[in-house]
Amino acid sequence: MQGAAHLYDGHSAARHPVEVALSRERQALVITGEGLAAPLVWPLQDLRALHDHADDGQLILTRHLETEDESLRDTARLVVEDAEMVAWLRRTRPRLARRDLREGTWRRIGLRAGGALAAVLLMIFVILPALAGTLSRLIPVEKEIAFGRGVKAQIERVFGATEAGALDCSAPDGTAALERMVARLTEGQEIGYPLEISVIDHKMMNAFAVPGGQIVVMRGLLEGAGDPDMVAAVLAHEIGHVVHRDPTRNALRTAGSVGLLGLLFGDFTGGAATVLLAERMISASYSQEAEAEADTYAVEMLRSAGLPPSALGDMFERFREEYGDVEGAMAHFASHPRLSDRIAAAGAAASGDSPHRPSLAPEEWRALQNICDIRANTRDAG
Amino acid sequence: MDDGNFGHGEYTGDGKALFWLALRTGLLTLLTLGIYRFWGKTRIRRYIWSSGRLEGSRFEYTGTGLEKFLGFLLAVVFLAVYLGLIQILLFWFGMTLFAEPQSPEQALAQGAGVSLSAVALLPFIFFAIYRARRYKMARTRWRGIRFGMEKAAWGYAVRALGYWALTLLSLGLLTPLMTFRLEKYMADRSWFGTARFEQQGTWTALYGCMRQIFVALALLACGGLGIALGKVVLPVLLLPVGAVWLVIGVISYRVQSFAYLSRNKMLGGKVAFHAHPRTQTVIGTYVVGALLLGLGLSVATGIFGGIAAFALSGLDFESLEPGFHPGMIPPVLITAAGYLLTLIAARAGALALITQPILRHYVTTVTVINLPALAQIRQRAADTGADAEGFADALDIGGAI
Repeated sequence: MQGAAHLYDGHSAARHPVEVALSRERQALVITGEGLAAPLVWPLQDLRALHDHADDGQLILTRHLETEDESLRDTARLVVEDAEMVAWLRRTRPRLARRDLREGTWRRIGLRAGGALAAVLLMIFVILPALAGTLSRLIPVEKEIAFGRGVKAQIERVFGATEAGALDCSAPDGTAALERMVARLTEGQEIGYPLEISVIDHKMMNAFAVPGGQIVVMRGLLEGAGDPDMVAAVLAHEIGHVVHRDPTRNALRTAGSVGLLGLLFGDFTGGAATVLLAERMISASYSQEAEAEADTYAVEMLRSAGLPPSALGDMFERFREEYGDVEGAMAHFASHPRLSDRIAAAGAAASGDSPHRPSLAPEEWRALQNICDIRANTRDAG
Repeated sequence: MDDGNFGHGEYTGDGKALFWLALRTGLLTLLTLGIYRFWGKTRIRRYIWSSGRLEGSRFEYTGTGLEKFLGFLLAVVFLAVYLGLIQILLFWFGMTLFAEPQSPEQALAQGAGVSLSAVALLPFIFFAIYRARRYKMARTRWRGIRFGMEKAAWGYAVRALGYWALTLLSLGLLTPLMTFRLEKYMADRSWFGTARFEQQGTWTALYGCMRQIFVALALLACGGLGIALGKVVLPVLLLPVGAVWLVIGVISYRVQSFAYLSRNKMLGGKVAFHAHPRTQTVIGTYVVGALLLGLGLSVATGIFGGIAAFALSGLDFESLEPGFHPGMIPPVLITAAGYLLTLIAARAGALALITQPILRHYVTTVTVINLPALAQIRQRAADTGADAEGFADALDIGGAI
């Protein structure tokens, strides 16, 4: 095995024409040339080739060597273009493709990855939530209300409203009944916000709180509830979110962690989907805690208003009948705790209900259920 | 002209080989949830660098995926803290200052408040741009000799902020000043072995490269005048032509300012360069590549869409109860996989059909003058590479390669 090649010695930009031959013991390549002060001897076991090279007819060799460089390679390069020699090298030298790692590489990877993970987790689970809590208390209430209106308008658009308030239900008797129910629940309670409760005309069985003390109840919930106390229980739960400032806190925390997660998952294919999924998991772990706290608050509120806390459990039972429960792995992605757990918790709190006066009289209850007979935008015409 | 004194750039990269390499690394990136991207980028660069040839010697890219990964982890620690805090604070300010976005204008203002986070990141972005170029230079070799750049990223960030502000304040009239000074800042700190690059020439000469932009602006101004005078035909003709001309003008400025700046670089006071890329070739390559890519993608998505439609055809979504259905898994998986595969193929295709041909044009229109002087240049010390583009990766800067 012998032939002509070119050498870049790693010290100067000169191109040396050289002769390459096997050493006598067939253990090394001996490189000789006019420009070289002395022949170079490269042990065969140390030979390495450059990967992903654009020219298949050419093999660029270098040597495995302990250096301070980015990889453990000699700076010299031997360019072999002799077809026979290229074939011989490829055939007999499996180590050409070897990647050599510096000692302690895995430890370095572990340390860096651990450090980065710790920083991200600390931010997402400790610093950002704490900051969100502090900042949510620093917002003037009227700004929070205004922000909440914007959020509510966006949600309404999702449910098909063409403009803000277009879906609001406003039959006068129903509105009056709703006000009476809220007054009974909040009597003697410190809410911290002017409560503003609206019903929107949508068949979904749901209710939610937006920043600034605004609670939205959907028509489906009024129709699906068996009695007015169940609606009162849901309202008490949402008032619990308002008192704990959960919507505002959540919006702030999400703003911080979405930016951070976007950085982490980067610009690779499907990165945006991963960010959304990760954010969903994080916010689920928070909101499950917040939901449990709002449940506890609701039980207290119902009891002090002279209403049966068992209504909360009854309402969850209705949710389960309608939509089923989340089980198994999916439960980690859900924003609410499992309904069976909540029914059990509400049932435990409700033991020993005493006879009580329902939150609404039968005719008031009918009026509330029919509140969507008149909608805000049809009020003038109707 | 090739008499030993001149050397023309050559580019031997093959579109098919690059496409398959990019597709393979893209799939591995997907399977590893993005981790492989550092190694994928490294392999693509090795291929592209080794496709470039000057005077019979190919370039070499010596960066490693591992150092990029480690650099990224380092950048994450800094940016996670900085970005998290900036985002939450800006959102809070947006909430307290511009609450109640009931009109579109206010919603816009709130959006602007939130997107201020981009401005808060600007110094880091310029810092990352310099660092990324330094890393690329430090990992490029020709004839075994390292290129390199000095450590001056913060100096660059400060100057870039200043020149961008000047350019914005002058409504773009001082763009040549910014282009020239920022390139000079980087070029004067660049080395090949023991020889330093030097940026010569003057910034005012770059106004010549803006010619097409001025023509476009004149057309638009005439169109605007036509509207002001109540004419109809003139603006209808002039405004679209002006808009297209403006796009061409911007590309022309980028190509021709690059050519001017290259022609006025010197290496070690001895080696000079000539560059004559043609704007119409760059635009033509782009258009042809984009058309081919669009054609290929629509065929591919057509096939995938057909499969997905076939898998979905047995299902009647209207009659389904809400909840989870095993029958929905295959179509959902096929749709998601099709979407992701299309994205990966689109990236690989764009690299092979657009980026590489344009790069080929740039490389093959460069001439190096006074080649014998190169042989005198000696090796320079290795550069650790600092964050190995970690900041640039985390901030999504850097383009195709």
